[in-house]
Amino acid sequence: MSDVATGLSSARTEVLADGTAVVTIGGSWNQDSSLPAIVVKGDRVRVVAEGLADFDSSLPAWLYANFKNVRHLDLSALPVRLQSLVQMAEKASSADERPPHPGFLEQFGTWGLESSASWGRAFEHIGHTAIGFLRMLVGRAKVNWSDFRLELQTSGVDALPIVALLGFLTGLIMAYVGLIQLRLVGATVYVANLVSLAMTREMGALMTGIIACGRTSTAYASQLGSMNVSQETDALRALGINPIEYLAVPRILAVTLMIPLLAVFATFIGVFGGMVVACAGDLSIEQYLTQAVRAISFKSFLVGFIKSIAFGFIAAWAGCYRGSVAKRSALGVGEAATSAAVLGITFIVISDALFAVIFNLFDL
Amino acid sequence: MSAGDILTCADLAIGHGDRVIMDRLNLSLAPGKILAIVGPSGCGKSTLMRALGGLDEPLGGKTTLMGVDLNASRGQQRQDILRRTGFLFQGSALFSSLTLRENIEMPMREFLKAPHREIRQLAEYKLALVGLADAMDKLPSEISGGMAKRAGIARAMALDPSVIFLDEPSAGLDPMSSGRLDELILRLREAFGTTIVLVSHEVPSILRTADFCVYLDPDTGTMGAYGPPKSFLQAGQPPKVHAFFSQARFD
Repeated sequence: MSDVATGLSSARTEVLADGTAVVTIGGSWNQDSSLPAIVVKGDRVRVVAEGLADFDSSLPAWLYANFKNVRHLDLSALPVRLQSLVQMAEKASSADERPPHPGFLEQFGTWGLESSASWGRAFEHIGHTAIGFLRMLVGRAKVNWSDFRLELQTSGVDALPIVALLGFLTGLIMAYVGLIQLRLVGATVYVANLVSLAMTREMGALMTGIIACGRTSTAYASQLGSMNVSQETDALRALGINPIEYLAVPRILAVTLMIPLLAVFATFIGVFGGMVVACAGDLSIEQYLTQAVRAISFKSFLVGFIKSIAFGFIAAWAGCYRGSVAKRSALGVGEAATSAAVLGITFIVISDALFAVIFNLFDL
Repeated sequence: MSAGDILTCADLAIGHGDRVIMDRLNLSLAPGKILAIVGPSGCGKSTLMRALGGLDEPLGGKTTLMGVDLNASRGQQRQDILRRTGFLFQGSALFSSLTLRENIEMPMREFLKAPHREIRQLAEYKLALVGLADAMDKLPSEISGGMAKRAGIARAMALDPSVIFLDEPSAGLDPMSSGRLDELILRLREAFGTTIVLVSHEVPSILRTADFCVYLDPDTGTMGAYGPPKSFLQAGQPPKVHAFFSQARFD
């Protein structure tokens, strides 16, 4: 505690015979200095000033913090301006009215309820999207076709460079890893089979789907989330337009059409990447291409193509869904973008596993 | 204009980019007074307020805030001046990821050396001043527009500024909330002696709170009138100014 002699803020307490606590304040009070600590018991307090110099809001804040719950507070001995500053602060509700911090079980239960509600909303959104597509097919949906054309460009054509780069590097890495093992058994020629089959059935579609999640899902979540913040989606509803049909359907359709094409492109680039590595060492171009063509069957191509359609749908849907349920704040939009990428990639990997089982059952 | 004025501008020109929308602006304000900037939509009220507060560079002329020529102040000096001012923006501009209490604490943490507990105390007091003691732990997305305005004022007051700039504080509020906000502005001025510059369309609110009023006339591109707001209702004022105030009053 500082005192008047030093000019710093000071406070001292004495209790009168009738139980009234008299708090004497003095010195100079400002926001940058450390304030005195006091303990006052009882519900009758009188505050008086002695040698009180200048003060800023730190003094009324200190008085408010220490005496806000005192039943009989007498400030009449203080300067009028200070009285007014304390009285201006409306009494906060007492601390025990605030809800207690939830325990572990309650938190776990809340998390469970929120998760199940979130999954419910996700499936509801899938249902609405499906209905939107059906209504579009029968010509009853109000779809923003200018968005559709724009998204064909941004989610498809504009993604070609990154898809080419990652596809090439994926093929290249697989060829390197494959060669290490195949050299041991003198079967380096099969590196072409390994790369082309993996790219066609699996990696072409998977890499493109993941790129779409990082690039397109997040963009859609941000776009639709921002529209939520600025109440544009409410405006659409008010105009009698279903936001899912108007905003989500053209985006999902565009991405679902473009991702398979990008996946085919990534597949060929990946096979080429593998060829660069294979031909730099053990194989000739003719050998590599002959083996690659032998390895790729129509069935493999079909498997990759079907997967890429699903991955495209998932990536676009995840972005639209998370954007549509984003909280109305900058933080909410950021969270929506992050969760869209996470949701999209998770669903893509889960569906890839499901496809593996299904194709195995049908001997594809 | 006198030496004791806290805010002055001389031949000020404001605009967007190189386009001048208002010029030949001359005004001065003594400490503890409330100045209202009024005029039709799009005439440059908020732009003028931002220039007076040092947020934007004017296109010409001179602005002095708390004795410092804003045109000549750069870097740390400009930061120091801005620290001694508070702004309430049109949309309140509360940080959406922070609770109301954290919004108020943020500038305090940046600029004050006080310990954590005292900063918390100050933030709670400032929120209680504007009647938000019960909403301290809410996020901006969880409160109404009127509450957001009040929280914005609390943040503007966080560092006990000498001058507060309020951009349309009562816009979008119901008459009761608007009245309470006017009351709050007057009480803050009375208690802290704060100088207040506000942009407003609400003539009843201006008549209640402002000591002086400047009317910006988009047709002439300069001030149409300057003086106590009640005088704008009297005969002898430029017809446009008189019409603006009388019409708005009846509205």
